[in-house]
Amino acid sequence: MSYNGCCFFAYNNSEIDYVKLAMLAALYVKKHMKNNNTCLITTQGDYTWLKESQDSKLLDIAFDEVVITNDKQADNIRVHYDSPWTTFNSHFQNSNKHLVNVYSPFDKTLLLDIDYIVRNNNLDYLFEQDHINVGMYDSACDLRGDLPHLYEQYLNPVGIPMWWSTVVYFDRSETSDMFFDIWAHCQQEYSFYKFLYNMPGNMYRTDFCVSIASHIMNGMADGNIIHKLIDGPMQYMDQKDDIVEVTSATDWTFLANDRDEPWKDILARNYRQNLHVMNKRAIDRNYNELLGVVK
Amino acid sequence: MDDRLEKALEFSNYRMTIENQKKNLKIRMETQQTFMYQKGTWRADQKLLSFIETLLANDLTVAVLQDSRDNPIEIDDLHEFQELAFGKYNESMNEFLMESNKLAKARNIKKVMDW
Repeated sequence: MSYNGCCFFAYNNSEIDYVKLAMLAALYVKKHMKNNNTCLITTQGDYTWLKESQDSKLLDIAFDEVVITNDKQADNIRVHYDSPWTTFNSHFQNSNKHLVNVYSPFDKTLLLDIDYIVRNNNLDYLFEQDHINVGMYDSACDLRGDLPHLYEQYLNPVGIPMWWSTVVYFDRSETSDMFFDIWAHCQQEYSFYKFLYNMPGNMYRTDFCVSIASHIMNGMADGNIIHKLIDGPMQYMDQKDDIVEVTSATDWTFLANDRDEPWKDILARNYRQNLHVMNKRAIDRNYNELLGVVK
Repeated sequence: MDDRLEKALEFSNYRMTIENQKKNLKIRMETQQTFMYQKGTWRADQKLLSFIETLLANDLTVAVLQDSRDNPIEIDDLHEFQELAFGKYNESMNEFLMESNKLAKARNIKKVMDW
């Protein structure tokens, strides 16, 4: 019988306690998925902090495995929003995400970002299929059901389609090894690929690397070598949105911001959908409520 | 602000919230209708269900269908496939109806949010 489960990368910085958020995300996996073994990938220092700062019983429930890494991380500064009116910079560490196939203790792995909150069992189907080697979301929509900015649908306005590295499913196969090898190559030669694919911004984005890997593996065309998750489009809460109320583990209410007129918000209630909660400060503000309904 | 204008704006916000909720319910419904069968990705909508019914009505139990990713998939047990698709369809539509009815009864934003 194969050993399957979900992995979370979490490296703290001065602004965001990623390991704390990873614990919350892991508890949502435990509550809602069948294939709910979990693995935290972090540094010794961050794991020690997690043990000191969180309830040890909850921590034992949250993670079945902990992998300690010591990779040298490239400096990657990211501007975060918390509502349209507050921004902050943080040193974001994601340059070893492609090593998940080395670090994962599982035969079939679902790599989840720590701000991807699982609120149903829709992704369990992946572990039951033997023909899927790598799977990701190729589309997304916000709390208003709208598509993201053009630069998050395509790598540039006339570029290749964007795939999201927020959720990456993979098995142990030659195809998945090839996918991670290309991702690693894109990471190492990022400035070349940034020029080649005309990618925006200066930040290293793993979404761009997986999009390029998918494009190359499909023979520089659109194809289906990478499985499109059937749970898609990936629904996300924008960094400019906020959490208003947590009624249960599957029923949350948000303030959904209007991208074109940022002084306007509407209330949006979201039930039972898996959700990429991009505003990490909002998770932090509502941490006790979010934890309370999942314990 | 004029009272009538204020009421009109409040009503507009309420309608916007309702429309957004409807859009979210539709996304949820479509997600629930999507499933995998024999390595194909399928959406259990009225079109698929009708086509399966047509094949069965013509005494076919095995057939090749195009899945929602445009792959040809040989279905070797159409009865089993129909049962699965019907299950997904009914489950999603029942929830869609129940939640839509709740929305239809909500006459203000507080009711929509269950506050």
